[in-house]
Amino acid sequence: MLLELHDLYVCVDGKSIVKGVNLFVGSNELHVIMGPNASGKTTLLASIMGLPRVNVCNGSIFFNNIDITNKSTYERARMGIGLAHQNPPSIRGVKFYDIVKAFLKKYNCQNWSSFTDLLRINDLLKRDLFVGFSGGERKRAELYLVMLQNPRLALLDEPDSGVDIESVNLIADAINYLMSIGSSIILVTHSGLILDKLRNVNKVHLMLDGKICYSGYLHDVLPIVMKFGYKNAVEMLLKQKGD
Amino acid sequence: MNFSIEQLKEIIQKPDTHYPDVDLRKYGIDIPNVKEDLVIHEDIKVSETAQRVGFKDTLKLNYLQVNEDALYKSIEKELGKYNVKVMPLKLALEKLHLVKDLSWSLIKPITDKYTAAAYLFGGELGYFIYVPPNTKVPIPIYTCLVITSNNKVQFAHNIAYVDEGSEAHVVTGCGVPHGIRDSVHIGISEFYVAKNAKLTFSMIHAWSRGLHVRPRTAVNVEKGGEYVSYYIIYSPVSSLQTDPLVYLSENAKAYMASVIVGKENGIYDVGARAVLNGVNASVEVISRVVASNESETYARSEIAANASNTKGHVECLGLLLSEKARISSIPTIISRNPNAKLTHEAAIGIIAQEELEYLMSKGFSENEAKAILIRGFMNIDAPGIPVSIKAEADRILDMVSKYAVG
Repeated sequence: MLLELHDLYVCVDGKSIVKGVNLFVGSNELHVIMGPNASGKTTLLASIMGLPRVNVCNGSIFFNNIDITNKSTYERARMGIGLAHQNPPSIRGVKFYDIVKAFLKKYNCQNWSSFTDLLRINDLLKRDLFVGFSGGERKRAELYLVMLQNPRLALLDEPDSGVDIESVNLIADAINYLMSIGSSIILVTHSGLILDKLRNVNKVHLMLDGKICYSGYLHDVLPIVMKFGYKNAVEMLLKQKGD
Repeated sequence: MNFSIEQLKEIIQKPDTHYPDVDLRKYGIDIPNVKEDLVIHEDIKVSETAQRVGFKDTLKLNYLQVNEDALYKSIEKELGKYNVKVMPLKLALEKLHLVKDLSWSLIKPITDKYTAAAYLFGGELGYFIYVPPNTKVPIPIYTCLVITSNNKVQFAHNIAYVDEGSEAHVVTGCGVPHGIRDSVHIGISEFYVAKNAKLTFSMIHAWSRGLHVRPRTAVNVEKGGEYVSYYIIYSPVSSLQTDPLVYLSENAKAYMASVIVGKENGIYDVGARAVLNGVNASVEVISRVVASNESETYARSEIAANASNTKGHVECLGLLLSEKARISSIPTIISRNPNAKLTHEAAIGIIAQEELEYLMSKGFSENEAKAILIRGFMNIDAPGIPVSIKAEADRILDMVSKYAVG
């Protein structure tokens, strides 16, 4: 297994947000986590990335058979985990191309030029990082930076929310590309907008109130979620499973 | 001139109103010298200083002043093609009639003790630059002022005149080599930007603790002219106090940018003043202050609008890297015309935790992430600065940001 979460509990500011998650992601697998707002999806990704604002209060995280539960966020990044933040901060003064240069120096990504074309980044490079970016530009730029990391595991937090349809298509192409070169992906979405554009979704996990309540295949889960909403879908799917 | 030598001598004896006062009587003054044929300076201290202020070799320089020795090229091969004149002011005052009218015209000797001392004892060292009308000079004019002795005052009186419709880039580096601990630099600069002309002035300062620095600068920009200044100080200093003043006529514009990297227990008092005298004149005053150790920085600015449809904006941002450092932002905007638009924004803070964590999540260590953010903070897009100068300034700021976090 590339990633293993064992009975993971995560707190933010002393409040329990993720409550006993078990998740196993193999090499070159695409897992989707869906759920309503405030169900703990972002916090779960943050805990895998090891962001300082989240605190693992119980359980463990293994990456490539190494216990990374107590490793710092930058160590995890260097091990091959890349997080596309849902809302990356606007950083005034820091030019996008300067960040790209720093990434290339650190990760020696060979395909950066084709990624630049794929996500149509060229026009953004001279600007301050994320300053004044539209929703689509922000998501594309953030995914681009993750791609420059050559991630073994890419954590994509709502890459399809608040973006125009053109950007969704480009982002889907980039995700498909990442899969084609062997990366694994955990994709968080609450709208599911992007899912029909992805080639191989291995599993969909439904998250409610900090727990993964149901895991199944995309074609079984998505229609029910779209029709009945998350809470009802979980109840129906669990009932179906029981029958 | 409406002052007497006695008056000037009296001013020098009294403490200055600017803090801290420098008692000039404690320092020696060398006899001024003018030397031709600046080719290469063999003194390693000079080349070391030149490198600190962005000049990889002294060959490029058009004017070099070491203490009170002014060196220049009697034949300017490259600049000569454009009929640009670069020479020590002392020589220019002897040879060119025009210069007498320009000298001490924008800055009066009676202004303060430092101008008074420069007038009385400076020997009119410093550079004179003249760019003839309708001449765009693509190559920068390089000047460098170095102090290599302790307990001395270095005086420089610089005059640049960019004639009608012309464009020039003046680059100045001032500094000391390692080991110089106690001296004073007084630089008087009077710049004239004629009708529809443009002058960019980039200056890098690299001093050390024990140095007191008192530049006095005034610029007159005529109708349709443009003045851009880009100033960096990145070294320790005992005290620096400067407050350049720009007069802008009709349709004239100015952009004044400063990057101040405060270190140790230095006092950095850096201002920028603009007087918008003509219709449609405009100015932007931009400063970035990065304060570490126990440094004290005063980022001052003053824009006065005296004519209609004038515009002025002050942007002062400060970054505190130490709990013992201090930054004061003191913007003043004065309007005497209801159709003038004057604005200011100022913010002082620490490195944003959210930005730091973001970069760390991308694989950068805390120090690497801080260096990226500090470097970005110091980025200013000063318009029209030559690419080669910008690259050298960038190299220095890259180094500054790396060292800022240890």
